[in-house]
Amino acid sequence: MMLEKGKRYLQIALNGTIEDARLVAASLPRSKNILLEAGTPLIKEYGIQAIAAIRQLDPNAYIVADIKCADLADREIGLVCDIQPAPIPVLPKPLLTQKITFLDLIKMTADQINAIQETNQANLSFPAIASDANAATVLGVAPVETINLFIEECKKRRIDSMVDMMNVPNPLSILKKLDCPPDAVILHRGVDETEFSREKQIPYYQIKQIKGNYDILVAVAGGDTIREIQRAFFNDADIVVVWKNFYQATEDTARLAQDFLKEI
Amino acid sequence: MSLLNTRSKYLQIAFNRSLAEVQEMVSLLPPTPKIIIEAGTSLIKRYGQKAVSDLNYWWAEKIGQPAYIVADLKTMDRGSAEVKSAARAGASAATCLGLAPVETIDEFIKNCETHGIDSMVDMMNVPFPFEVLQKLKNLPDIVVLHRGADEHILNREKQIPLNQITRIKGAYGKILISIAGGETTREVVSDFFNGADIAVVWRSFYEKPKDTSTLAQDFLKLIK
Repeated sequence: MMLEKGKRYLQIALNGTIEDARLVAASLPRSKNILLEAGTPLIKEYGIQAIAAIRQLDPNAYIVADIKCADLADREIGLVCDIQPAPIPVLPKPLLTQKITFLDLIKMTADQINAIQETNQANLSFPAIASDANAATVLGVAPVETINLFIEECKKRRIDSMVDMMNVPNPLSILKKLDCPPDAVILHRGVDETEFSREKQIPYYQIKQIKGNYDILVAVAGGDTIREIQRAFFNDADIVVVWKNFYQATEDTARLAQDFLKEI
Repeated sequence: MSLLNTRSKYLQIAFNRSLAEVQEMVSLLPPTPKIIIEAGTSLIKRYGQKAVSDLNYWWAEKIGQPAYIVADLKTMDRGSAEVKSAARAGASAATCLGLAPVETIDEFIKNCETHGIDSMVDMMNVPFPFEVLQKLKNLPDIVVLHRGADEHILNREKQIPLNQITRIKGAYGKILISIAGGETTREVVSDFFNGADIAVVWRSFYEKPKDTSTLAQDFLKLIK
């Protein structure tokens, strides 16, 4: 597993349009404790190129592909592990960066101009970085065969497996059925549930229950204020997933992330 | 009311190969409105909603009338956002997981109505589809009884509960039933015999894309 036990991580779900996602990702402080998530609606709208677009901004980021796999686990893991990035045009500004004026240009030899054109070409092509995700999610409500296959495939491909326990009343009962535990479990109150049934709570007590039985990380999703983040960590969560603030207002983004980094 | 003719039977073919191959496969299909084209979950996750709009364009051009495209979103959360993007891409129907929170399924069905597309609730891994249907504010247009591909391969004794078809239709009348997870002509015959309106297939097409035309004709013979 790539994440360290005993550390605290803030996972930021990127949604909206690719431009929104890139804008938010670009405004975040760079830290090992901040994980980026390509949200389900983003992937369903743009496909796996959404992951490549985030990766392009930060080659070292830990990216979670929130694919919420429900069937055909091997094929979906193959998708997020083998992304052939489509060239996303990078603004060509070699003339500007090298501070060449038009007057310089007409004085140049053919060789010099060729050299500039080559750098220009290099800037246009896609940087040679792996665009793969570092972790992917599977639904806890999926058939147990799918979850087992998913965890096995993640191991083979050396990415982290996360089981999303949304709408699972008792996560331990799912974990007990598995051949092998995942790297992380996500305790999750869905966005629709939060919106339409305010009384539904994130079951914080399950964090200790799971960690007492399995040596795995526990993530909590469904809270969005700094208080809810504190509460989750106080209850021993390893990862807190947030999305709303990062979706609605980019200007609050950096602040929440910085508050979090200050806390830990 | 569903956009489909309730008295007709349909063959739904799910596509999951690369978009270039899928375009080729669609061009090989016999042009009939009895075929429903599905943008599979992994196709959508790979290409996004472009997959839906491309399929819509290719199939409508082929059959010379508006195409019926299913976006197999398998929505688990945020019913409104996902339906909106599929409808905008030209889908005629979208799927939601029966395993999703009931709030999500309600929101999904409501948004399908708003956008004028058919709602499909996929009952994969739901032991009692009735229990889910009873909790909903409004019924979906179509219920999908589904045995997942992974469960099917790794656990042969799991069966599609065909006896549920008449039970659901008896209780709710106008709902259409789609059966997914049976891949042979024999299984498709038995789906229709047991009262299914739609039979979903993909595996033989996925494995032998060049035989698309003959495979589709073999299946279509089963629809009277």
